Amino acid sequence: MLQDSMTNLIRIDNLHKSFYDGDSELKVLKGVNLEVRNSEILAIMGASGVGKSTLLHLLGTLDRPTDGRIYYEDQDITAFTERDLTRFRNEAIGFVFQFHQLLPEFAALENVAMGGLIRKSKSVKFDDSNSLNIGGVYETAVHLLNSVGLSERLEHYPSQLSGGERQRVAIARALINQPKVVLADEPTGNIDDKTSESVLDVLQDINERLNQTFVIVTHDSRLSERAHRTVQLVGGRIAG
Amino acid sequence: MKFEWFVASRYLLSRRKQSFISIISIISIAGVGLGVATVILVIAVLDGVEHGLRDRFLANEAHVVLRLIGNNFFGDYQDRIERITDVEGVVAASPVVYSQMGVFQTGGEGIKDTIFVKGIDTAQEDKVTGFSHFVEGSVDFQTSPLIKEAALREGETISGGMVVGSRLAARLGIGVGDVLRLVVSLDENPGSIGSPTFLVDFSNFVIIGFYESELAVYDNQIAYIAKETAQELYDAEDKVNVILVKLEDAEMASELSVLIEDAAQFSDIIDRAITTTWLETHASLFAALKLEKIATVIIEALIILVAAFNIASTLIMTVMEKTRDIGTLRTLGASRGNILGIFMIQGSVIGMLGTIAGSALGLGLCWLLSNNVVRPSPLYAFGAIALLIICQIVIAFRRLIPHGTIRKLGMSVFWVVVVGFVLYCFVKPISLKELGLSGIYQMNELPIRVNWFFVGFINLLSFLICWLGTTYPAWQASNLKPIEALQYE
Repeated sequence: MLQDSMTNLIRIDNLHKSFYDGDSELKVLKGVNLEVRNSEILAIMGASGVGKSTLLHLLGTLDRPTDGRIYYEDQDITAFTERDLTRFRNEAIGFVFQFHQLLPEFAALENVAMGGLIRKSKSVKFDDSNSLNIGGVYETAVHLLNSVGLSERLEHYPSQLSGGERQRVAIARALINQPKVVLADEPTGNIDDKTSESVLDVLQDINERLNQTFVIVTHDSRLSERAHRTVQLVGGRIAG
Repeated sequence: MKFEWFVASRYLLSRRKQSFISIISIISIAGVGLGVATVILVIAVLDGVEHGLRDRFLANEAHVVLRLIGNNFFGDYQDRIERITDVEGVVAASPVVYSQMGVFQTGGEGIKDTIFVKGIDTAQEDKVTGFSHFVEGSVDFQTSPLIKEAALREGETISGGMVVGSRLAARLGIGVGDVLRLVVSLDENPGSIGSPTFLVDFSNFVIIGFYESELAVYDNQIAYIAKETAQELYDAEDKVNVILVKLEDAEMASELSVLIEDAAQFSDIIDRAITTTWLETHASLFAALKLEKIATVIIEALIILVAAFNIASTLIMTVMEKTRDIGTLRTLGASRGNILGIFMIQGSVIGMLGTIAGSALGLGLCWLLSNNVVRPSPLYAFGAIALLIICQIVIAFRRLIPHGTIRKLGMSVFWVVVVGFVLYCFVKPISLKELGLSGIYQMNELPIRVNWFFVGFINLLSFLICWLGTTYPAWQASNLKPIEALQYE
């Protein structure tokens, strides 16, 4: 088990999120306080509709909170501009979704490299030697696909992969820019038990080898067993 | 390859499930292409007609016509011509007795037709209008042996030889050697009592040649006789009523006409000289052609606009189809600018490909319509079409050729080659003469003249319209919120 003395990567202070439909307000998160430590696997569990995914989207800068603060290494990301958030998302966060969300027109290797290509396109916008850097991105992507056991599937398109393989490609994709944290929304929610085990093995292996931090929203008790910590979201707040 | 190009190019050549979008892309490209091709072709025809007419007018006509108000005869014309030719920019000038005469129908006791008759000095006229080059037959108005032969045969006095417009000759049913009786003047008899009677002055001419300029307006109504003969007919010894002037640069006609009037040295009080330029003579025709061109450009721009709407709707569908992908790309860190770029590139490439394909098709058709080379038998064209159909059937069943980029590229090239070959076999210069339209359009073949400036302009316009058509869907895509896009069903 990880030691309590580990440094905090993310600190969530009194986070609120409401959705509006005309005049009616639906309060989903009602003051979430949470800390995510470096290199841990944190599982967030809770009943359906309690706001787990909403919390993950806020952590992933895909949405803005109604109130409250989110700090990444003491940096308040809720104060970021749209432009800064986009860059932050690209460089510091990796996503794994329940429905893999791979781009169907691109091969596994290209899907994995995509985040790196976006990063390179921003950082070397006016650099003619772009192609060399892009080569580096593909090398990393190959390495990542090897590490999730898909070295034979580099040129395969999502439609040519099984459910578990797709999810492993999605995990490799999340790691391309060596993010601070990987946010996973029900990563085993759409695959069978046997495949789920292999996906969980991959997650755990990456965590152990690379000290990669994971925040995982799940219903899967097997996943929470493998997590370093599990928190319950109840009534829009972290329980206990 | 830049990130936006990388994604956009893949969307344009999308595979499998999204192939519907790909087909719409092809239809969009075809729409723009047909619009551009049509406008290039139509403008080339209109430009060809305008320049064909200009060239023919300039080949047959004087650039400036000098006469007196009331068409009065005037003397000292050779002196005046010398002074006119001294004007800088004037090449030559020719004296003409210009008149209108009636064609008398023998046996019918009446005037059958009226024609314009030019009494010319052949040598001088040649320098101005190149008259002799357009004559089939003789131009010896006074010494042709046909004159004596006709006098003996008909037992009538023959005033001289006459060259008539080819269409006029056909209309009157006359050939070389025939005699044409003309009513030179028709004066009211001063001694008539009651209803007026007229004194008719006849003159007989022998047809010695035909004038064929390919301009119906001349070939249909003009005849030429010797200047001296015309002077005798009108009792105007050493006088003419028109001086025709040729310039170095026909476009300078308006500027030089004032100097020509001055050089002619007519007394403004007694004889007021006026000049008419070739542009003024045909002003209404050129104005009509110009108006037609403007109307064509507007209509064709609307066609391209429709094609641009097609592109817009294609892109809107693509955005809808790709909404979840857009969400994914945003979560991966793609900015609004990246997404905007992807769809702008996609639309712009469609517009550009359509414009290039349209230009190639339009210019190719222009070339085919203006080059009269021997074409292969249409059977070869049918053979090529059959081969293409067989290939497509084979590919449809995927039995021989594997699926892939090379096959796609190969088939695209094959399609282009077959379409080009079929057009080469079938598209030929259009003969207006064979269609019986040469009288209306004043020329024997449909003229084609590619206006390169306009081709450039329409390319730019087409691309601009298509580019504008892509802005809304691209903007719509870039404004999708990542979370909403991800959850899009």
